[in-house]
Amino acid sequence: MKIAIPHIHKIEGEAGFWAKVTKTGKIEELKFQTLLGLRQIEGILIGRRYFEVPIVVSRICGICPVPHILCAITSLENALKLKVSEQTTLLRKLLLAANIVHSHTLHLFFLSLSDFFNIENDLDLLKKFKKESKAALDVRNLALEITKVIGGRPVHPITPIVGGFTKLPEKEKLKEILEKIPQAIENANLLIETFKKIEYPEFERETLFASVFNGKDYPYYLEKIVKIGDEKFTFSDFYSVQIEEDLKSPPVKRVKFRGKAYMVGAIARLKNNGKFLTKNSKEKFEEFLKERKLNEKEYFKNIFHNLFSQAIEVLQFLEVCQGLLKEVLRLPLKEERPKIEFHPSSGLSALEAPRGTLFHYYEIDREGRISNCNVITPTAQFLHNIEKDLKTLLPQIVKLKKKDQIRKIRSLVRIYDPCISCATH
Amino acid sequence: MKKPKVAFFSLTSCEGCQFALLDLGERFFNFLREVELVDFSLIEEIPFPKEKVEIDVSFVEGLPIKNEEIELLKKIREESKILVAMGNCASLGGIPEMKNYQGKERTIRYVYKKLNVENPEIKEIDNFVKVDFYIPGCPIHGEEFLKYAKELTEGKIPEISQKPVCSECLNQGKETCFLRKKEPCLGPITLAGCEAICPKNNQLCYGCRGILKNVNLKGFLETLKKFKNPEEIEDNLEIFGIKDEIEKFLKP
Repeated sequence: MKIAIPHIHKIEGEAGFWAKVTKTGKIEELKFQTLLGLRQIEGILIGRRYFEVPIVVSRICGICPVPHILCAITSLENALKLKVSEQTTLLRKLLLAANIVHSHTLHLFFLSLSDFFNIENDLDLLKKFKKESKAALDVRNLALEITKVIGGRPVHPITPIVGGFTKLPEKEKLKEILEKIPQAIENANLLIETFKKIEYPEFERETLFASVFNGKDYPYYLEKIVKIGDEKFTFSDFYSVQIEEDLKSPPVKRVKFRGKAYMVGAIARLKNNGKFLTKNSKEKFEEFLKERKLNEKEYFKNIFHNLFSQAIEVLQFLEVCQGLLKEVLRLPLKEERPKIEFHPSSGLSALEAPRGTLFHYYEIDREGRISNCNVITPTAQFLHNIEKDLKTLLPQIVKLKKKDQIRKIRSLVRIYDPCISCATH
Repeated sequence: MKKPKVAFFSLTSCEGCQFALLDLGERFFNFLREVELVDFSLIEEIPFPKEKVEIDVSFVEGLPIKNEEIELLKKIREESKILVAMGNCASLGGIPEMKNYQGKERTIRYVYKKLNVENPEIKEIDNFVKVDFYIPGCPIHGEEFLKYAKELTEGKIPEISQKPVCSECLNQGKETCFLRKKEPCLGPITLAGCEAICPKNNQLCYGCRGILKNVNLKGFLETLKKFKNPEEIEDNLEIFGIKDEIEKFLKP
């Protein structure tokens, strides 16, 4: 029997699914395939001037330009041995936290939720979930507002550059946002309730979870350690030694850790750093476990819980934004233009994008032009994991009607929130 | 009254223009409620039909890099009364077009050394099909979209008024103007409508919205060359795919 979904809708970018499976559930062929062409962003960057990098890499993806910009400019700063101020770091952390909130909210509400209610169009979803959709839109709008006030605009922000910002946000506007956060937190709680009530399909497969780690808080911005399973590595060791890129199937790199599939993103961060969640987020997470009579081990065996993990992170990162806004407002924001000196050098950076750990690597020459670079996106890292999960799912659904099979496959793929523009770039 | 049939398609791109639409929130959904949506894969589930359909307005984002995308684009053209290029990639080649300027073989082999990768010259969609209207910008401006989309769904082709980015720029005529500071800002030759968002954020205009009609390009480029070396100016023109447009304009 062949199962084909030529184009899976409601994900970022275009992808399809093909499988050949026997009546007894033996899989003869299975492929989750990206459908976008290769733009070759890395190749494009060779020879370009360092200040073009954030402009170019933001165009890798329209939903997560912020992590690409931040990962690129911090990697270049590492190469140039450029130290940035506390002000710059706080504003960048705010941008990144807001990006996670907006991306997760979009995925939770507009891409994935309809799978659990058999709704085929978001306009119908808006009708059925009036209160919840307003809450989701409000949370998302606040996150976009943060991006706009600090970055200049939500899609492809303009202000973040190597060394800092071209323009600083107005404090008045940051204050206005801070005042709106309690309402957004209330809305985030409503979303958590919505996603708490969902019937997540039964599914079980153990995998490895990777994310940045610092042993102090729920980390996401520029960390030195990557945790995978029970092991910890420096981010440069993880990037250059522990993982390998399979380049045999362009336009995507498929990444493995010592030959094994692994998972990154919300569920992975929750696995590795759950005990460092804010008090409220942690309570919500524990409530869910208790109500479902799940222990943590069982929770993390079911990939469908990635969705609930994202809901928890919306609350988590709204609270992070709240704290950061207060800190920023205490500072006397002032224009900074650190002096940049070029020398042939290289830099690497790792941070948590909404979908997981993102790596940017650059080499720069004495004129300030890029001589080498590499980008490893979260989706490239979890492609193997999607296929492994699909292989686990398929034998369980061979007896279903075609329509239901397709529905199950789509919904599993969407749980990952794959970003095909990022994966192919 | 029958609702106009509208579709959104995404070819190879960052999909940022679609997100600029979703970021309008409730206002974009209100627009969608006024039309019959034939396809918009980001928010609905129904596959784009293989058989012939009728569409009043199709919005196409991105670039046809794969053969399948070229085929899809042709089908869209056949079935649409109005076909709109949405954003800088579809209209002008965008960031991916830099590949054309630097030797596409070198660029595409950078990561995938020996494998067979589809690697066409980057060509805007109007190289394959007739385009009736272009929405400029990288990304498009949501408000501007709503304005044009209204006219388009009424069957009209909007007129974009030919004003430069400078006409909307807060720095115009002031000390803070980049050109006064001898920085190669492309505001004077670039189509307005973005509210001069880059200069407003203290960033040069790199012309993502495309070149104005009836502008003294040659004179402007000569002026830039007085304070910047030609290589740097070329580099700037390459970022958003306008270098080839300028070459076309300047051809005798």
